[in-house]
Amino acid sequence: MTRKSKLTRRTFLRGCLAGSTVALALPPLEAMLTGNGAARAEDGTTDAPFFGVFYWANGLPWHGEHGGQQGGHPDLWTPAQTGAGYTPSELLQPLARHRVSVATGLQPHTEVPSAPPGQGDGHMRGFMVALTGDRPQPESFNHSSHTLTALRPSLDQYIARHPDFYASAPRFRSLEVGVSTARFHQYGHWNAISYNGPDSINLPILSPSALYDRLFAVPVDASESIRRSRLLDAVLEDARSLKTRLGSNDRLRLQAHLDHVRALQRRVETSAPQCADPGRPGDAGDLVERSRLMAQLLALAIDCGLTRVFSFMLTSPASTHVFSNLGVPDGMHKTCHDGHWERVRDITRYQMEAFAAFLDAFSVERPDGTTLLDRGCIVGLSEYGEGWKHSVREMPAVIAGGAGGNLNRMVHVREPGGNLSKVHVTALRAIGLDTPSFGWNGGDTIDHLTGILA
Amino acid sequence: MTTLTPPGSPSASPGGSGRRLPWVLTLSAALLLGGCGQTTLEIEDEPGAETEGDGAAGPGAPGDGSPGEGGDGPQTPDEEDPHTPRPDFEPGPAVMPRLTESQYRNTLEAIFGEDLPETPVEADTNPYLFYTIGAATTQLSDRGVEQYADAAMAVAEAVFKDRARREALVGCAPERAGDACVQGFLASLGRRLWRRPLTDVELERWVGVSRDTADGDPWQGLETAVAGLLQSPWFLYRIELGEEDPSEPGQRRYTSWEMAQRLAFLFWNTGPDEELLEAAARGELTDDATIFEQSMRLSNDPRARVALQDFFTQYLDLGRLEKVERDPARYPGYSPSLLAAMEAEVRLLVDDIVYRRDGDVRRLFSDRRAFVNSELAALYGLDAPGATPIAFVPVEFGAEVPRAGLLTLGAFLTMNAHPTETSPTLRGKYIRERLFCQEVPAPPDDIDLNLEAEPGEPATLRERLEQHRRDPACAGCHSFIDPPGMLFEHYDSIGRYRDEVDGHPVDSSGDLDGAALENAEGLGALLGEEAKLTRCMVRQLYRHANGRLEEYGERIALRDLEASFEASGYRFRDLMLALALSEGFRTVAPQAEAPEDETTDENTEERP
Repeated sequence: MTRKSKLTRRTFLRGCLAGSTVALALPPLEAMLTGNGAARAEDGTTDAPFFGVFYWANGLPWHGEHGGQQGGHPDLWTPAQTGAGYTPSELLQPLARHRVSVATGLQPHTEVPSAPPGQGDGHMRGFMVALTGDRPQPESFNHSSHTLTALRPSLDQYIARHPDFYASAPRFRSLEVGVSTARFHQYGHWNAISYNGPDSINLPILSPSALYDRLFAVPVDASESIRRSRLLDAVLEDARSLKTRLGSNDRLRLQAHLDHVRALQRRVETSAPQCADPGRPGDAGDLVERSRLMAQLLALAIDCGLTRVFSFMLTSPASTHVFSNLGVPDGMHKTCHDGHWERVRDITRYQMEAFAAFLDAFSVERPDGTTLLDRGCIVGLSEYGEGWKHSVREMPAVIAGGAGGNLNRMVHVREPGGNLSKVHVTALRAIGLDTPSFGWNGGDTIDHLTGILA
Repeated sequence: MTTLTPPGSPSASPGGSGRRLPWVLTLSAALLLGGCGQTTLEIEDEPGAETEGDGAAGPGAPGDGSPGEGGDGPQTPDEEDPHTPRPDFEPGPAVMPRLTESQYRNTLEAIFGEDLPETPVEADTNPYLFYTIGAATTQLSDRGVEQYADAAMAVAEAVFKDRARREALVGCAPERAGDACVQGFLASLGRRLWRRPLTDVELERWVGVSRDTADGDPWQGLETAVAGLLQSPWFLYRIELGEEDPSEPGQRRYTSWEMAQRLAFLFWNTGPDEELLEAAARGELTDDATIFEQSMRLSNDPRARVALQDFFTQYLDLGRLEKVERDPARYPGYSPSLLAAMEAEVRLLVDDIVYRRDGDVRRLFSDRRAFVNSELAALYGLDAPGATPIAFVPVEFGAEVPRAGLLTLGAFLTMNAHPTETSPTLRGKYIRERLFCQEVPAPPDDIDLNLEAEPGEPATLRERLEQHRRDPACAGCHSFIDPPGMLFEHYDSIGRYRDEVDGHPVDSSGDLDGAALENAEGLGALLGEEAKLTRCMVRQLYRHANGRLEEYGERIALRDLEASFEASGYRFRDLMLALALSEGFRTVAPQAEAPEDETTDENTEERP
């Protein structure tokens, strides 16, 4: 990609420099995460909680609790004991160093309409409930073509737009990031895990360099900012005469567009927080390495106040990613369907290693002994319990971070058949949002996970 | 170009369009009752009517072995009582598609020339196969708006930093901010970009931007204004709301300006050129003669070729090819560039049959001609003199080559197979869904999808699938999907011909709706007579052109197009001309009343 705009000219120069002699002089990303390299948010919200979603595809290796026919394989996920200080199971082992809490046995509680058919499909129901607390929108559901859309915002957007979350608007309300480019379909909802509502998705940035460009490339001179802002005023005025003539759906679409124009204008007009520049990263590496790089950029962005919400899509729903590095010849979706339990186990362990590498960036200890993860809540979710038969029983839920003391670490809560939305309630309350209930269409609950929420 | 059958005269009933049924939903309910093979997209079926209510072939119910028989529903057009009064046409709703990425880039290139910076813009999405449908339904994201801004700034900068280029574009030299040169240029460029003239207020607005941002340099002011025009919703979205039709009181038709862009995006996949805009300025693009004349001009222009190919790559779902992965150790000759060659091969075949020869489009499925590069020639075991990795040459499959038509070419065979084995199910599903517009429902929940061979179990895929079809829970659909898919068993997961699999001789026999066939070539010949194929093609073009699914009230327009298609000898370019003249492309329902919501205009995103 050749970027030539004025917006990125500085980046471009920096990229050239980084590629030559000064590359080694740039501070390694990790060193910058000790809190010394980054300035703090101007609004004094240094200690405010942040929230993130970590998503991986195709659930877990199946076992007897997923349903009658899935027996015969051990449960490698659920820890043997519940309560604080559980002994990590084989698959949770990589995450143990981050002292994550887990909830097991949960499942979606949303009702499944009988028409149109197929709305009970594990993938589609599963990832929608995990991400939004609601089922897919029935009116636009078509199983045959796998077309679906969310009814409401995903949890990250619910938080990013919650009136009580941001005291003042940050540079980015949220960031959407991912690494695997494999996809089940070209349709939006199979390529993104962050939604604003029906037919409104936030596609993830899939390369570290592109994330770097968005975070750290800002217009250099003031006159450029003024020009850009002035033309955006005119764009907004153009829309005024149009809006009144549109039908309600298109009016909403235009309104969303204009909201984003205003957000852009605000970014253009205000100077970015003075974040230390980590240097433009490369895009090489396997999923684990790229997860680590992405996480380091996200952690820097949070640490210097650019945002406090993100979503991270390791692999997309129903991912066809081929884990050839693990000796798996087929895409993951088919590997699950074909019943290759051992391969799914290997893939899941690898995905948990990526999760652990991701959390590493948030766990760098600062001089005062704290870590960024202490003030945040990162929820790990997948689309269903297991990928062989798409059972939505026993869905995995990981809750990482301390949320400023609101979350107990290293706790295992087990509730067979329990409502998955308790995870969402727990996260919302942990980051200080008053949440009477969460979940819709039968999936609502007023309960959090007692034991995990402090 | 052969004869054109005029479409049926507009006969829409006035008013009374209170029935905007979400008929996809309603028909899907019928699917639940009807079971597998129900042609749920059969627009002739009354929405909500309980068709095939016995559920004999439904998933989970024992199949009667011939779900495809009932699959057409009770009322296909062929069977419809000729004495049934001709239904009235009811125009479909207006949609507001964002320009697709290719439309965006094509338009910029047509106006500003080649060699523009290609910064990324928000990815297209293709629900129901078509980017136009995704463009008309999705909302642009926060980052998407930022990307459009970056792209606009980059394009404007590239054009204006080059003295010769900017002078050629502007055509005059601005001496001071807001002078006549500036005004004339912005008026003319604005009309081209927005596909309609700017109002005085709008022109003054953008002249004002150029004045305010000139900073002593009128060129810089112009650069800013150009970057701004490119970010206006009037450029980024196709606004087509229609006007009262003076000859049909109570009805709405697209305005001449709107028709100019509809025709340009349909035939060229780009914004209208000056000739179309001039015709629109004269108000002529509401009459049949001018629409026909302009459509012919567009259709005969080389720019129509790529747009045609783009339609076919979407209709044929070739986007899936890009994400295919194969292990070269398992499939010698495989490489990512082979996938690109497979797509190019289909594009060239479409170009040859549909554009250059202007022939019967059904020959796509049986033609013994193909266009191969050296990789494809090796895959097919052909001698193709002149072929290199980048040079495609025409080849004629001799009698000894077991290939004919695009269902025997790499793209279809590869994207409908797994990395370790073929999939008669995926290939059969493609025939049902893509070629016939039939729907195949989801497998029931909680069933055993494992078809791996266990020790002591049948070894071949055919045997495993047959065993599968003996399971009543699976039989209803799989006896509908698999038999046509079995016809391709001679082609492996990258389309290479084979006579045996794992030591077992290949048996490619199968059938389509009761007609027993030996192999894929037999199917190709059968498709040459298959009404479901051409009816589905009409429907897909209609969806692509309108950026939405068809509505129940539009069925008569589709039926007219089918008749016209048949009368033209299934020449696809004639179908497009008929569509351009069709009421289904020229009329629009009134906008549903939107509630006034001026309060949302501000305050949704606080300003510092």
